[in-house]
Amino acid sequence: MVTWEGSGARGRGVIDAGTGAFSGLEYSQPIRIGKGNEGKTSPEELLAAAHAGCFSMSLAGELRNGEANLSVTANIVMDEVEGRGHLIRESQLRVRARVPGLARETFDETVETAHAGCSFSRLLEDADVKVTIDAELEASHGD
Amino acid sequence: MATDRTASVTWHGGLMDGGGTIESVTSGVLSSLEVDWANRAEEAQGKTSPEELIAAAHAACFSMAFSAALAKAGNPAERLETSATVTFVPGTGITKSALTVRGIVPGIDEETFHELADQSKDGCPVSKALAGNVELSLEAELVGAEPRRRAVPSG
Repeated sequence: MVTWEGSGARGRGVIDAGTGAFSGLEYSQPIRIGKGNEGKTSPEELLAAAHAGCFSMSLAGELRNGEANLSVTANIVMDEVEGRGHLIRESQLRVRARVPGLARETFDETVETAHAGCSFSRLLEDADVKVTIDAELEASHGD
Repeated sequence: MATDRTASVTWHGGLMDGGGTIESVTSGVLSSLEVDWANRAEEAQGKTSPEELIAAAHAACFSMAFSAALAKAGNPAERLETSATVTFVPGTGITKSALTVRGIVPGIDEETFHELADQSKDGCPVSKALAGNVELSLEAELVGAEPRRRAVPSG
């Protein structure tokens, strides 16, 4: 649920999650399109969290390894496009994984399968948002 | 100017028996938020999910776009209450985002209110990022609007 008060550039909103997992998140237009956003979220930041969460689950589902440790970062890039206003242009995923016993080649293939299986990746690509993945398998203890 | 917004998640274990944590975001307002498959695909029990975050992003984006459109039309909103419900079908994906908005907008007529709400639904950046294969819907209600006066023919 979002409550917004005031107009456009001078207004501000507050975001609460239905599950109660987060609440009272403030956002505003100057913060959204500004360079930094210390202390205030934005729709794009929430999408970044959604994409990192979605991709993590998809990769975990494909790896089927109870010992897997994944670290996924998503960076959402929004930019103004002439004649079309602000558009979400890109989501850049950075994946670092420690998966005991997994070969590098298998990992690369699994990342591709996970990308194809992540519903949010698919959705972004269908809307012409570029998704890039920088994935590395790191050495696990015992390898 | 392009803006970057980043979020980091860690995950341990498999999909069904494992779990993840949204560790951090650029603004610092979210940390240690747990996510797992059961809360995502079955009943939510206090944990967030990618779809809830998309819903929050969509409701926030729509509210901002709608408030800007209302202000531009000369009827700034006093207050907008927006919710978005994003539907996830396991095996299929994200199928729907249903927006509802209740607005207190002094001086605006019903028709303009609904017209601007529809435009904002189609035009906000998050809607455009979802529009590829997600059904977008909107229910808009103007709260406390005075009944429209019909023009009385003169003469």
